[in-house]
Amino acid sequence: MDISKCQAYEDEIKLLEEEIKLLAEQCEDIQQESTFYSEEEILMAIKAFQSKFQRESKEHESRSDLKDQLESLEADLSFLMKFTHIQFTSHSKRTVERTRNRTVQKHRISGKCHSLSFQLEFQLLEMQDKEKVSTVITDLSIVMESGEDSNVSKFVSRTEEHGDLLKFFRSLSSYAEWYEHRRSTFLHFK
Amino acid sequence: GVFTHLEMLETQAHEAGRKQEEKEQQEEKLASLQQRVEELRIQRDQLRAKVDLQQKRKSGKKEIVSHAAESSPGAVLDWKLRRVKGMLQIFYLTGISGKLTKRGVCFSISTAYEGTYLDSYYLDLLTKPAVQIHRHSIPIFIPLEQISKRYLQTDIRRFLSVLADHLNAYARRKYQADQLQERFSDHLEGSLQRNSLCNLLAFNYKVPSEGKTFPFSARLIYTDLCCSLPTEVVVSCTGKCLGMWKETAAAHSELFRRMALHKAFCTFISAGEEVD
Repeated sequence: MDISKCQAYEDEIKLLEEEIKLLAEQCEDIQQESTFYSEEEILMAIKAFQSKFQRESKEHESRSDLKDQLESLEADLSFLMKFTHIQFTSHSKRTVERTRNRTVQKHRISGKCHSLSFQLEFQLLEMQDKEKVSTVITDLSIVMESGEDSNVSKFVSRTEEHGDLLKFFRSLSSYAEWYEHRRSTFLHFK
Repeated sequence: GVFTHLEMLETQAHEAGRKQEEKEQQEEKLASLQQRVEELRIQRDQLRAKVDLQQKRKSGKKEIVSHAAESSPGAVLDWKLRRVKGMLQIFYLTGISGKLTKRGVCFSISTAYEGTYLDSYYLDLLTKPAVQIHRHSIPIFIPLEQISKRYLQTDIRRFLSVLADHLNAYARRKYQADQLQERFSDHLEGSLQRNSLCNLLAFNYKVPSEGKTFPFSARLIYTDLCCSLPTEVVVSCTGKCLGMWKETAAAHSELFRRMALHKAFCTFISAGEEVD
């Protein structure tokens, strides 16, 4: 009789672990949204670290590491946006599939390159094969205000068809720069 | 007599002791399992409450209560850190990413064939006193020195753009050749010959038709290093070939000029199979 009790507990443990895993993922997904914490809340948190009444403890040290790491990465991000003229205004992602060596996430991004805005949706598949991690984009969907230029819409549908996210960004960069140059030249002569 | 009786009692006691030990072990195990179940139940309930709360807030926008009220500053910053990392990963997907260093910037150029990301290369630049390349992982057959002489001092963006064009074109040519070897090895005769820049390819292949196979040889030259389609293609039918195979050779030549190598193979092989 004890053995069946054991089994019952073990079964329940398995079920609970599954449930917990799913709930944790749900939690994670909701947190992925960019508006989870407001800018003010983030600033307040940073100030809390800088508070001179902070207790000297191990916890404090690891927290300031966190702050330094955050500042360093934010500086990198800020630099990249200035350098490439690509600004991302929103980014949300959702895990669609997660197994031991395969993860699929659905991303939704909006941003602009110079003055041209775009919205993207795609699935990102990451596969682990021994030590190599491979990255593949599928289901790419691009929305761009093309205005008068039919070349833009042709180009967008072609890159969408092939899932060529990288080519989209590289071409967007040069097109946006040309467009910007043309626009400022035009304004100059107005 | 007495001796066997004593032995019997000893065995009985031993047996009883063993059974008692077994029973105690089982009870211990049961107790620890029970404890684990209770711990997990609490954890599950806490998570459930958290998720419910988050979802309620998501839908009831009028009463947005701060999430931060119940999280430590550490958790808030941890969240922000993950978001910034996520954004940096997106930059990697755009083809040009980087990291500030003490003396400059370390750029990372990624390459891809359509939706499949391939190798990435790094370029560690110093910015003082002038812009110079400190370290890099650019392959030696890419004309880095030529490109940097022309653009590095005057226009870094242009320099990276041109370099990325070279690297991407090379990666795509290599990918096509690799795909051909991997997916169409049955149709290749001998090995595919290529140079390290993958802009010179030569191979022999056979096309099945009506039960027989017809041998061809192809030579592809890509003179534009920023292009992943060949500029010059020569396809000829080897062995005994009738006039119509000359037409096929010309058709293949045209296909190789217009589309990716492995896609061209897909096209004429499936077409040939349909005819059969």
